Amino acid sequence: MSAEIKYSEEELVLLLQRKDQQAFSYLYDHYSGALNGIICRMVDEAQLAEDILQEAFLKIWNNFGQYDSSKGRLFTWMINLTRNLTIDTLRSKGYKKQQKISKDENSVINYQDKSYGSDRFDSIGLRKQVSNLKPEQKSIIDLAYFNGYTQEEISKELGIPLGTVKTRMRSAIMELRKMLEFN
Amino acid sequence: MEIKDIISSGVLELYVLGIASEQETADVTTWAKQYPEIVAEIATIQASLESYAMAYAVQPPAAVKQKIFAEINPGSLVANQPAKVVGMNPFWKYAAAASIILLIGSAAGNIVFFNKYQEATKNYQATVTAKNSAEEQLAALDEANKEMKNDMGVIQSRNSEPVALHGLEKAPDAAAKIFWMKNTTGDVYIDPSNLPDAPAGMQYQFWGIVDGKPVDGGMIVFSKKGDKYRIQKMKRFGRAEAFAVTLETEGGNPQPKGDMYVMGKM
Repeated sequence: MSAEIKYSEEELVLLLQRKDQQAFSYLYDHYSGALNGIICRMVDEAQLAEDILQEAFLKIWNNFGQYDSSKGRLFTWMINLTRNLTIDTLRSKGYKKQQKISKDENSVINYQDKSYGSDRFDSIGLRKQVSNLKPEQKSIIDLAYFNGYTQEEISKELGIPLGTVKTRMRSAIMELRKMLEFN
Repeated sequence: MEIKDIISSGVLELYVLGIASEQETADVTTWAKQYPEIVAEIATIQASLESYAMAYAVQPPAAVKQKIFAEINPGSLVANQPAKVVGMNPFWKYAAAASIILLIGSAAGNIVFFNKYQEATKNYQATVTAKNSAEEQLAALDEANKEMKNDMGVIQSRNSEPVALHGLEKAPDAAAKIFWMKNTTGDVYIDPSNLPDAPAGMQYQFWGIVDGKPVDGGMIVFSKKGDKYRIQKMKRFGRAEAFAVTLETEGGNPQPKGDMYVMGKM
């Protein structure tokens, strides 16, 4: 493991455009956990989740030319790609969008602790930081971010007017930023 | 719509989450081109959501990484199935023994060939590397040449009106030059190469003074290599009494807050 090497986002992008496998390996080591976390929110079946993760990384590798750094950060692009791929895959198999676990905070934590073996990227520390989000704040973020719900679907699921989704989302993410000290 | 209203509306959050409507997405794209504050806010929202995703990471099984790398390196996948054991008659035993001897001979040959092959590969790679670095140097020179031509074009243009900006108390030795296409397009170019290096986290911001008030003229950026400033295009001004440069926090401010480094009156 080349744990010593650290790449900046610009370096990673440059190397991946040149199909550098070491950079891709680094990308995988750093981000596969987070992307897998998103997939596991929507997909129950372990084999299917693995297949989607594999396909997501192959897409990132093969379609890297489509990433445009002026439109946003690399990791956000990877997350959106993974989420859309998961939703498309589920839809093609006749599943509906669903929230697998996210309503019960405790079950999420248990599930995570069981399956996350290392805190190399301090996922546990981060989780502590965000654990004080109120359930309604957490669920509005999760619905959009992890489950790919549209504005209309969120409004229906939470029983709030469509116009309120925007302001609720803003205040939930502001709270998140406070916890992560991103202000 | 004012910047702070855009930021507090929540539309940037929806945009980052990919659930803004088509109209909203188009609006955000336009704003992001206009206002550095919007770009900074979007980046912060993205970063905080990324950390949120990290917080809920689930380590995938190790086999997935191997499969992905096998997929992007076709041919490296080795079939790993146990061989079946079957009985043999004596003739086949001798035949097998003979073939094993042949195999060993051939393997020895292979080692020799393989070493030669490796050497050839190494030589080939060294050649490729040398060629690539020559190509890179050529491309860099090409780029530098193109930039130089652009700079010269600005300076030589008959329409460009030069304005000298002189160093102020903060940096008496600093200077900058403006080339203003005043009577044609209104384009403003600045040659900031005689400004002192901006400290980390800070950036020079360009201002036009219009009716006694500073109007944002855009941020002065480093060249791609980060080592040198170049002549660059700023925002257009139809009229202005003076131009100035201040040192601001990265991304700039709607109104000048930092020290003024250079200034020149028309």
